[in-house]
Amino acid sequence: MADSTEEFEPLFDYSRVQPYSVISLDDDSTDESSVFCAKKRKIAHGDDEKKEKDVNGKDIEVINCDSKVDDEEDWLPPAPKNSRNTDKILDEDSTLKALRLKKQELASLAHSAEEVLRAVEESVRKDLSASLQSSLENAAEQPQNPLPKRAKVVISIQDKDELKQFRVYTDDKFERLFKMYADKAKLDVKQLVFCFDGDKISPAESPGSLGMEDDDIIEVHVKSN
Amino acid sequence: MSGGIARGRLAEERKTWRKNHPHGFVAKPETLPDGTVNLMIWHCSIPGKAGTDWDGGYYPLTMHFSEDYPSKPPKCKFPQGFFHPNVYPSGTVCLSILNEDSGWRPAITVKQILVGVQDLLDQPNPSDPAQTEGYHMFIQDPVEYKKRVRQQAKQYPPLV
Repeated sequence: MADSTEEFEPLFDYSRVQPYSVISLDDDSTDESSVFCAKKRKIAHGDDEKKEKDVNGKDIEVINCDSKVDDEEDWLPPAPKNSRNTDKILDEDSTLKALRLKKQELASLAHSAEEVLRAVEESVRKDLSASLQSSLENAAEQPQNPLPKRAKVVISIQDKDELKQFRVYTDDKFERLFKMYADKAKLDVKQLVFCFDGDKISPAESPGSLGMEDDDIIEVHVKSN
Repeated sequence: MSGGIARGRLAEERKTWRKNHPHGFVAKPETLPDGTVNLMIWHCSIPGKAGTDWDGGYYPLTMHFSEDYPSKPPKCKFPQGFFHPNVYPSGTVCLSILNEDSGWRPAITVKQILVGVQDLLDQPNPSDPAQTEGYHMFIQDPVEYKKRVRQQAKQYPPLV
């Protein structure tokens, strides 16, 4: 389940793109770069909030709206300061008028941004629940898959000089492994004796029947006839 | 408490051995008739070094671990009457690294012990004899000693 939620990251990336493009379209009319910056920050902030709540699950909109109103109050004031610094030549009345207009503009902009965010949230939530369902289905299917799989074990075969590793089925008879080794070592399998823990291994046995684990060593001796 | 430490270490030694040990050596804890494993006693087999008079023999060695292992070394025994200057008539091996008051360190592994004993076979230590027969023959009659060692190698053929 944890994996499936992680897989939703790309969806968030997608959602982040949308509000940006909408805002930049609206922003074409505004020249104030400082205001635009503040706007940008707010949206990023809203994004973070959304993320938190998506992880937690429910109750998104109520908190979201409240925090947005606070945000508006937070980010608006700095704008006049900046404009006052840059536009000192203009008389106060015209700047105030311009500011009021800008405020209205931005308020509507913020609204539209909120709507976009909400829409994105909803779509994400839909996707989330849909994929949660599908992952549940997957989880239900999974246990059936491992059953037919045969367990494998890595076995080392050691002669006097070196060690060769083989990956075989735990329930596969040693006969096959011995033949594989003899072919690789270019020796006659009849001339070889294989031992595990000092005991000769019968070709009819299997790694499983001897309780062998990964990297266990089988020793091979060449008969000295 | 110390018994837990000894068994824990021995389980680890066994695990390591299964995955890596020198060719021809065997070392496994005793299995009781009811199928349970006794980690405190290990049955081992040491191959005589190739090119020496001991070559061809696979010498059975039993390691007895105490509850104080690895603070104290295991007691290592060949069969009773084993022919070697540094093996007591009881079969107990006399080797510095197996002596609590001399060369034993808790970090010495089962593999190091077995390789150490293999070295000892062809390189007896005349300054620390443990049996009269082997010691005297080694000092006084090298030809007869050699013959005796080769004879003994045939007594311990490979198990397979």
